[in-house]
Amino acid sequence: MTPHDWYVENRAAYVARALEPREERLFADHLGRCEECAREVAGLERDLGPLPMAVAPAVPRPGLSHQLADAVLRRPSWWQRAAPGLAAAAVILAAGLGFRERAARSAAEAALSQRDHQLAALRDTLSIIREAQHVVQQDIAMGGYKGGLVIFDDPVTHRWNVVMHGLPAAPADSVYQFWFITRTGMVRSVELRCDSDHPAFATVAMPDTPGPVMGAALTVEPALNRTPEPSGPMLAHVQF
Amino acid sequence: MSPPPPRSSRPSAGAGSAPVPLALAGQASLRARLVARDERALVELIETATPWLLGLVQSMLRDQDEAEEVVLEVFRIAWDRAASLGGEHEGLMPWLLRIARNRAIDRLRRRSRWRRKVERAEALGGVDSGTVQFREPDESAHPGWHVHESVHSALGALPEEQQAVVRLAYFGGLTHSEIARKLGIPMGTVKTRLRLAFDKLRVTLAPIQDWVR
Repeated sequence: MTPHDWYVENRAAYVARALEPREERLFADHLGRCEECAREVAGLERDLGPLPMAVAPAVPRPGLSHQLADAVLRRPSWWQRAAPGLAAAAVILAAGLGFRERAARSAAEAALSQRDHQLAALRDTLSIIREAQHVVQQDIAMGGYKGGLVIFDDPVTHRWNVVMHGLPAAPADSVYQFWFITRTGMVRSVELRCDSDHPAFATVAMPDTPGPVMGAALTVEPALNRTPEPSGPMLAHVQF
Repeated sequence: MSPPPPRSSRPSAGAGSAPVPLALAGQASLRARLVARDERALVELIETATPWLLGLVQSMLRDQDEAEEVVLEVFRIAWDRAASLGGEHEGLMPWLLRIARNRAIDRLRRRSRWRRKVERAEALGGVDSGTVQFREPDESAHPGWHVHESVHSALGALPEEQQAVVRLAYFGGLTHSEIARKLGIPMGTVKTRLRLAFDKLRVTLAPIQDWVR
């Protein structure tokens, strides 16, 4: 499960306004950066558009329509109030753009767009890390590579995010295995796949065991032999 | 919770023929006239939409004065943003209703006394597992009634447990953790029920055309 899956899972809740206030802000923030979610949410809102009409109409008290019309028309609209400022901004913008070559602008826009996408992905991750109450990390040295394991909680989704970076691909017939350490023992979580150029990122639910999770571990395990306890070399062992 | 009560047996405004959009033939649409900042169009919109907006907001807030304030805010927004209406793919009424519902939910959440109010209303038996009452006024000749009937039927066709979640979330402004507590079910179940309900509703509601053009 990736952090984006949480957004996919909660699109309906966002449209219904059923998210908690902090989740709602997080989701709204994400919509500004994720075209897919923005499109899906807009589609859902459009299709559900008539739903509020499930509630029967109310008879307005006498004179209400006139009062509403008077109140709306008496008040200058925002664009009338902001018109002088907007006009000045438009002049400055037009003057600035006039000095630019069209081709240079296109190239700059393309580069900016690419950076925006990268930045958006980074912001998604950072927005989660910023809210995290627990962040733990451990350096890992392995076969001449220096990498590490970073684990941080997401208090909004109540999940743990795990990043493994800088390590080579797991040896043949082996996998990197992430474990939770609980009072009752080690609990197998996700397998992580990465190479030295591509970090692994996973979002995992808390294990379904009684009591708190005390820590986590990373081992190298045989790919086809899923033992309940770690059997391969321990690469990282962290306490929460 | 029982499903929404059956609608009036009286014929709806559009019964027997295709519903007639509010804009008259040969006349520029209400939307186009609003974009052109025609004040008479605003008055027409207010007269047409107020009963529906008021019905929705009043049933959510249970306070007539506050509901009227929200309706005024909605029309102010509509008038302020009239210029951008031309490019909108969304129907005019759904757009107004969405703003109204969001404003009502914002107010519900600002109310520190909201929870006590719900508890009081529940104690009086005024609220079932939903917070909105889908009343049965004698308004079958009201413009837009045919849409109300279709939407009401679509909602009533959902399994009861899904209806309850939709009412509490969509019309009641409760968050999924509040709904989970209220119904005594896991939060994951709330999310699943809401998603299933919306999947069904978007299929049944999508073909409904906005009746204000």
